[in-house]
Amino acid sequence: MNTVTCFKIVPDDTLIKIVGDKLDLNVPPKISTYDKNAIEEAVRIKEKFGGKAIGVTAGNTDRKSIREALAMGLDEVIAINMKEQDVMSTAEAVAEAISSIKPDIILTGESTTDSSGSVFPSYLASLLGYPFITYAKSISIESNKVRVERNLTTFQEVVEANLPVVISVVGEINTPRIPAVKQILESSKKPVKTIDFNKQPKVKIAKVSPYVISRKKVVIEGKMDEAVDKLLSYLSQEGVL
Amino acid sequence: MARVVIYSEDVDYIKTAVSYFANENTIAISNKESHFTDELHLLDDIKEDFIANYIVSLNPEIVITGSTKRDKTIAGAVAGLMKVPIVPDVIELSGNVAKRVVYSGMGIAEIEFSYPAVLTITKKPVDVKEKETKVVKVQTREEKIKRVEVKSKGESSVDLSSAQIIVSVGRGIGSKENIKYAEELANALGAALGGSRPITAELGWLPEDRQIGLSGNKVKPKLYIALGISGQPQHLAGIKDAKIIVAVNKDKNAPIVENADYTIVGDAIEFCKVMTEKVKKK
Repeated sequence: MNTVTCFKIVPDDTLIKIVGDKLDLNVPPKISTYDKNAIEEAVRIKEKFGGKAIGVTAGNTDRKSIREALAMGLDEVIAINMKEQDVMSTAEAVAEAISSIKPDIILTGESTTDSSGSVFPSYLASLLGYPFITYAKSISIESNKVRVERNLTTFQEVVEANLPVVISVVGEINTPRIPAVKQILESSKKPVKTIDFNKQPKVKIAKVSPYVISRKKVVIEGKMDEAVDKLLSYLSQEGVL
Repeated sequence: MARVVIYSEDVDYIKTAVSYFANENTIAISNKESHFTDELHLLDDIKEDFIANYIVSLNPEIVITGSTKRDKTIAGAVAGLMKVPIVPDVIELSGNVAKRVVYSGMGIAEIEFSYPAVLTITKKPVDVKEKETKVVKVQTREEKIKRVEVKSKGESSVDLSSAQIIVSVGRGIGSKENIKYAEELANALGAALGGSRPITAELGWLPEDRQIGLSGNKVKPKLYIALGISGQPQHLAGIKDAKIIVAVNKDKNAPIVENADYTIVGDAIEFCKVMTEKVKKK
């Protein structure tokens, strides 16, 4: 059971700050939140069924984040350097990089924290001619079929498909493991293949402005009874209560 | 050849899409009936792979979809099949420039692109006139994905995106049982009840359609009360348009404090009890 997991290395969204009238993106990178769940799922599949678990990342190829992915249990990572990217060029880059692999399952997170578009998984699948199942809450595999429980807001849908297939996972599918020291050390011996892909993206970001809403940041401490009285008076002044 | 094709399972997205292409001939594809476009291809079911192929077969130049989970899945598939660019979550569109929210709600990006392309859009309150819509019924077919079972999660009738006052719970509420205190407060205020992603999607203490945040409902109430919510970027992204945000949290260093107008440092349940009583007295 060979898998390919797509993961994106993004600026840590919990550290991004607005400085003056600019967005400070010069923050430590990390593996995008739900992509970690995808890596965890791939490693579990490998532990259960054997085979190879390959990772692919495109855009920012920060070595520390790639090491973390390998330490979690991926066998190797293909790192595609891209100066600029959009969904289309990223999908094309990944499709080209994995063209010789022919995996049984391609895993991705439901969306990334930098863009949150959620359209990459089915875009990639359609480029490859693979069926796609998005928002997977659980995946079970039997011979050459998958059975997936999808988390669709007001209902859950259980679907089946033959392999090969592209599956995007929701954050609630599993809890990503924290690698042990042994695995972190071993990760430095695992191969990382580097490729450059520099096709001009057709979707260009002309500018990014901070989305600022300034808040009053009033902190009310003390006994709850008095605190609530103070709050009610503020809210009455604001005209909302 | 269809120039503008609009797809969504939610009529509000179809309305918003039509408002962007008011002077064009438009075709809507949906499992819901509406009369805002020149043609409507009415589907008997939602089978994402079938629908993506169907949309591509119409040879569109512009494809606009809504942004529900399935809408986006279809949008990505259509763009991949057509090998065209895609811009998701468009909040504003003018010619070949689109705006969208990025970095978990921290930024707004101005995007330049050209057609043919696929866009997914966010809802906007728009005024669109109904027209004579030619309705064509479409029988969907199972392709490579087979639906085995559907389990309802209990859809509630509350529309959080239009609620004026919202009481919202996070992990700090402690347990599913404690939500009743938040519910009592919501009733006293005439407010809607919502929750963070951990409370809804992960723990299931509230139905998932009550989720507020980047991947859930985006709300714009005049008053938003966040109980025991730490203030992760994904949650903040859903409440940016609230007029006044009140946070109740034991930790005065929680990220929500910097992103709220008023924070009461204390226990969420105690707050609910005291606030409910005082509101009822007024």
